[in-house]
This record gives sequence, structure tokens and C-alpha cells, in this order.
Amino acid sequence: MRLIRLSGQALAAALALFCFPGCDNSKIEVYRVEKEQDSQSAQISEAPGGASGGSVTWQAPADWEEQPSSGPRRGTFKIRGQNGGEAELSITAFPGDVGGLLANINRWRGQIQLPPMAEPDLAQVVTLLSGSSGNMLFVDIVSADSSKGGQKSRILGGILPLDAETWFFKLSGPDEIVAARKDEFKKFLETVKAEATPLLATSAEKSGSNTNAPTPPVLATTTAQPDYKAPPGWIAQPLSPMRLASFKITGSNGAEADVSLVSLAGMAGGDLANINRWRDQLKLPPLSEHDLASVSSHVNINGHDFLVTDLVSAEPLPPLNRKVRIVAAAAHKGEQTWFVKMTGDVDLVGTQKNHFLDFLRSLSLAGATGRDESSAQ
Amino acid sequence: MVRYLIACGRVLSSLRLTVVLLGLGMVLIFFGTLDQVHLGIHAAQAKYFRSLFVLWQPAGIGWSIPIFPGGYLIGTLLFLNLVAAHGTRFKPTPKKIGIFTIHAGVVVLLLGELLTGLFAKESMMRMDIGTAQNYSEAPRETELAIIDTSSKDDDLVVAIPESLLAHANVIQHPALPFMLKIVKFMANTALAMRSQVPNAPPSLATTGIGTNVVATEIPRTVKQDERDLTTVFVQINTVEGPLGTWLVSNALGMPQSFSYDGHNYELRMRQKRYYKPFTIKLLDFRHDIYPGTDIPKNFSSRIRLIDSRQKEDRNVLIYMNSPLRYSGYTFYQAGFDNNDKTSILQVVKNPTFILPYIACGLVGAGLLTQFSMHLVGFLRRRRP
Repeated sequence: MRLIRLSGQALAAALALFCFPGCDNSKIEVYRVEKEQDSQSAQISEAPGGASGGSVTWQAPADWEEQPSSGPRRGTFKIRGQNGGEAELSITAFPGDVGGLLANINRWRGQIQLPPMAEPDLAQVVTLLSGSSGNMLFVDIVSADSSKGGQKSRILGGILPLDAETWFFKLSGPDEIVAARKDEFKKFLETVKAEATPLLATSAEKSGSNTNAPTPPVLATTTAQPDYKAPPGWIAQPLSPMRLASFKITGSNGAEADVSLVSLAGMAGGDLANINRWRDQLKLPPLSEHDLASVSSHVNINGHDFLVTDLVSAEPLPPLNRKVRIVAAAAHKGEQTWFVKMTGDVDLVGTQKNHFLDFLRSLSLAGATGRDESSAQ
Repeated sequence: MVRYLIACGRVLSSLRLTVVLLGLGMVLIFFGTLDQVHLGIHAAQAKYFRSLFVLWQPAGIGWSIPIFPGGYLIGTLLFLNLVAAHGTRFKPTPKKIGIFTIHAGVVVLLLGELLTGLFAKESMMRMDIGTAQNYSEAPRETELAIIDTSSKDDDLVVAIPESLLAHANVIQHPALPFMLKIVKFMANTALAMRSQVPNAPPSLATTGIGTNVVATEIPRTVKQDERDLTTVFVQINTVEGPLGTWLVSNALGMPQSFSYDGHNYELRMRQKRYYKPFTIKLLDFRHDIYPGTDIPKNFSSRIRLIDSRQKEDRNVLIYMNSPLRYSGYTFYQAGFDNNDKTSILQVVKNPTFILPYIACGLVGAGLLTQFSMHLVGFLRRRRP
């Protein structure tokens, strides 16, 4: 009986542990927290007047009074006039182009009771600000009559379109105060710096390798993407962490080919290694350095030196039991090597070769930074 | 009935059961370790060791079949086996005090692992130099935070865990004046801007940045140094009708906002947060190397610990093997990033962290006692 009692107690204790309510991870939690300060803002604000809104930083004059901000508003400053009165600088960021430049200018015009303007007239109020980083557009609009308290209103704006979001710096208030600060505001806009932080999360930075904190997998970024134009008949496929572009081509006889655009860090093994890797995929024997010129040529496209190769398997290959052809191009840019590769049915790839070259010509690697991968396609 | 229970007790206390359980444990560890290649360490731990049974789901079937005892079951049976053996076979005599102490240590060790698995929480604090933070983040679990930012003083957060988003179709909560419909949940995704995938299918999102983003579901990552990018399409339904469908993902760098009934809300998919009643500010991070080499010598974070409740405000240096222990939490120097401008602290809360130490102490003391008694007896016998 003693044994039964002991066993029963132990079992009850074990079951109680398994059923302990504290291990429920599916509970909705509700709590109040202090308003969050932007971490980067806190970091940079140790320098007087400096602030930041994530990917964008700026340096405000000392007499601009910083106010708390939240939501899409990334910064707020109160600017006092000499004879009383005040203007407000708001810094906001929104995804996309928020309707475009004209819509945004007309929104601001509406705020100071001005009628909407047409696109051809934009140049009257918008100028490209020289000296600023990026493409900061400077806007200056003033109300037609005394709309507020017997005074004209003025809006000075800076619009910074980034790849996936648009930043607005709007100084609004009585014309007298805002106009007096025009040069100061322009100087402020020149301090605005946009870092290449994309809207979508990307891989951990290279310097962050010494951490055991899990980092997001490598993703397609918004700023690092190359521009290109897909030829007709190339059907875009969903991207993978590896592929920056992916297409499927289907021939009239049902034959298929696959096109991929991939970027790898460094030299990715070098030209010979890459060509031998593709040859291996076609069950062709490897080549030596001396033979490289016989199967590849260098083509200059848009200022990039592409090594282009055209390989055909000697035998029909599974699964289709047809000969397979690879047309591939590789170019080194900065610390990256870019690969464009078309693989598929020998006849279909042959007919698509001109389209492949058109795709290379449309490909702009300017500003594209690619991604850091350890494996090759 | 009594006879049946006695028979059960006899089986439970048998040495054969001990051997069988230890054998099963070895097989479990062998296959669990092999499967880490496919599942990653955390999923393998959950499947093999922190479960009652190892489950197998045949393709095309919605339910799973237990195919092997899991770590919790084997551990519990071992625990019961040991307790039952002491209740029947072992007689508490002074000669066996060492054996008893060793077994007590093993029991504490088994319990310690069980309690650690159930109650220990590991999270991370990632801070840039000069910034302060009063929360840590779960490295792998995510949550959908719906934040009412209308109040001037503070924000009201309703945090919905990933596990609920994955299985619920509709979520309602008294703190929310609207209902959430989970249109689609994807545990891990690759996101790209729609402009880069011109022929992608139309987005399920009808508003927010999600209309410009293409989310492609990919297998959950098993790499230890990566985390999933969870994406959810969530529709917000009010009494007046739906406000729209948003794509929320922890891959998105900024929250999305909307207004309803005079309140402003932010939608943010993020790593699960654990708020603390104190704040830590990173004053400095040092990555020292041996002079003339690139060999790391020391990583350290100088932090300021601020706890207004306890009137605590002091600077602390956290470095390798010298964590900060405060208020039940242990902060270890775990990593760095961003050209040495960001420090990553591992935050561990384990209320039973002392148990393995006690277990080792008991086993050590038991072994020492038992061997000493044997040695003394042996020496006595050798005396003429």
C-alpha cells in the first residue's frame, strides 16, 4: 500500500506539473506601456538637435524645440517667431509614393486654402534641392490671402522619395515666421541623410556574425534590387531567398526553360569554376583555364563586362530525355558577382537567346547591392 | 483492483523497467540528434525531448500518430521508477546513505529539467549604444501587437501570440472594439516589392503597404542563426463593416496605422516582447582584441540599470562569463552587431536554475560518501 501511495503521489505531482496553467503560450496579453521612443532617435539625440526616424537622420538647429512624436510622425519641432507666434515642423514617413508628387502638393495647397494645381505648373513650386543627399524636393507655397488670424500662411516642404517610402518634412505656420526661416530650413534639409535601410527586413549585417541571436533569412530587398525589363513570353515566378528575378518560358511544343538572376558575394569561385559548375550540370567534362576562351566570350553591356557562355549537353538528360542548353552570363560589380542563367530545352533556349541578351541589356545593376550567400546556383 | 495496482507497482519499481527506459532514452537521443539536421535544434527539442510522445503525421492526414515515447514520458517514468524502487526494494539503512543521496540528486536533476522546460524563458535584448530598453524579445516567437496610441501618456497594447494566429479564424477580445479575421497565416515567408514581381497574383491585402508587397510562403527555417519571417493577412471588421485587410509581417520595418471610433491604432507583427519593471541603457560596448591581432580578447557591455521601484540606479559591466543577475533575470553578453555599435544580451529567466546545482551537489556528496564508506571498510579489513 505504501508503494501505491507513493506512486500515486508522484504521478499526481507529475501531472500537475504538465497541466500547470503558466505554460499556456496562446493567451492574448493586454498591457499599457510608456510611449516608445525611437531607439535611433535616443541614440543620436545625445548630439544637440540631432534626431532620426529609423532610416533617415537629420540635424536640427538648437533653437528648434523638439516635441514628442508617434505613429507615422517621426519628428516634430516647434519654431518660435521673433514677435510671438510659432510654426511647426512635422516629419512624417509613409509607404509608397502616397499618391505621387502632384497629389501631395495639392494636399498641402488645400491646407492653406489654395486651389489644386495642374502637373505642368509643378515646376513653379518644386525645385530639386542641391547639396542634399538623395533627391530631396523643396516646396514653397504661400496662401493667397490672410487665411489665419489676419496673416498669410506658408508651407515650406521637403519631400524625400525613397525606394519604398516617402518622407515629408513640412514647416507650416504664419508666413512671417516661416519665410524668415527659409534659408535655415533649407540648411536643415541638407542635413537629412537617408541610410540604405530598406522597408523590408534583410539579412543581418556582415558585421553581426558574432551573435547567437537568430537573424532573419536573406530576403529580396527594396533598395538592392536591380532594374530590368522582362522580355515578352517570360512569366515571372515567385522569388526565393536566392533569386532576385525568376522567369519561366514555355515553348509552343510545351518545352520549358527557366531563367534566374542571382547575386553572390565575392568572385563566387571565379569564371572557370562557374563554367565548370554549369558544364557539370549538363554532364560535360570540366575544362582547363586554357579552354575557357573557346566556350565563353566577354560582352560589354551597359558598362558591365559580362562573361557569356552557351553550353549544350552531349546527351539527352532526364527528366525530359532531351538535350539541355544553358546560356549564362556573369558580371562582377563591387563585391558581388551577378549571374543570369537560362536553362532548358535545347531548341527553346536557342530561340530565346536574343531575348536573353535583351534582358541583359535591360538589366541595370546601378545601385543594386545583391546579397551575401554562401552557395551558388 | 488492489492486486492489479500492486502488480503495476511491481512493474514500476523493477530494475528491468529502468534498463528499458534507459535504452529508450538512448534511442530517443540518437534519433533526436540525427533529426536536428532537418528540424533544427529547437524544433527537435520540442518534438523529441519536450513531449510525451514523438508524433508522426502521415502525408495527407490531419492527425498525428504517437510512434515513440518522448522525453517527458521517459523522464517521468524514470522518476516514478526510482521513487517506486525506493518505496519497495531499497531499505533505508545507514550503509546506503550514499546511494540514497545519489538517487535524490538524480531525482532533482530530472525534476530540474522538467521545470526548466516548462518555466524557463530565454529572450534577447538588442540595443544600440546610448539607447534604453525595458523589454526583451523572444528570438523565435512572434506576436501581432495592436497598439492604441490615442492616449497622450501611454499606449494600450493587445498582443496576440503567433500560436493563436496560426489556428484561429476569428479573434475577438474585450480590449478591442473590432474583430480580427485571420485571412491567411504564413509561418515563414520571403517578401518582395510587387514592382519586382510583375506577374504575381493579386494581394490579399486591400490597404497598407501589403498591397505593394508579394509574400511567398517558404519552409520554416531550421538554421539556428535564422528566424522566421511570419506574415499574416488580417482583416479588421467593425460593426459598420470591414476596415480593410492588412498584410502584417515582422519583416516590415515600420508599423501600419488606422483609426476607428476616435482611436488611432498601430498594427505591428514583431518578436514576442517581455516587458520588465526596470530599464537597461547601453552606455558602451567594447570589443577588445589582442594587440597586433584580430583575435578577440573581450566583449563587454557597460549598462545602466534603472529600477525606480527598488530605487536602483547603477552602472554594471556585463562581459563573457560575468552576467548581470537582477530581479530573477540573468543577462549574458551574447553577441554584437552593427560594427560594434549594437550589443546583444541574452536574457534568461529560470526560476529553477538552482536545481541542477543542487542535483550535482547531491550526486557528488553521495558518491563521496559511498566511496569513503567503502574505502574505510576496505582499510579496516586490511588491518591485521
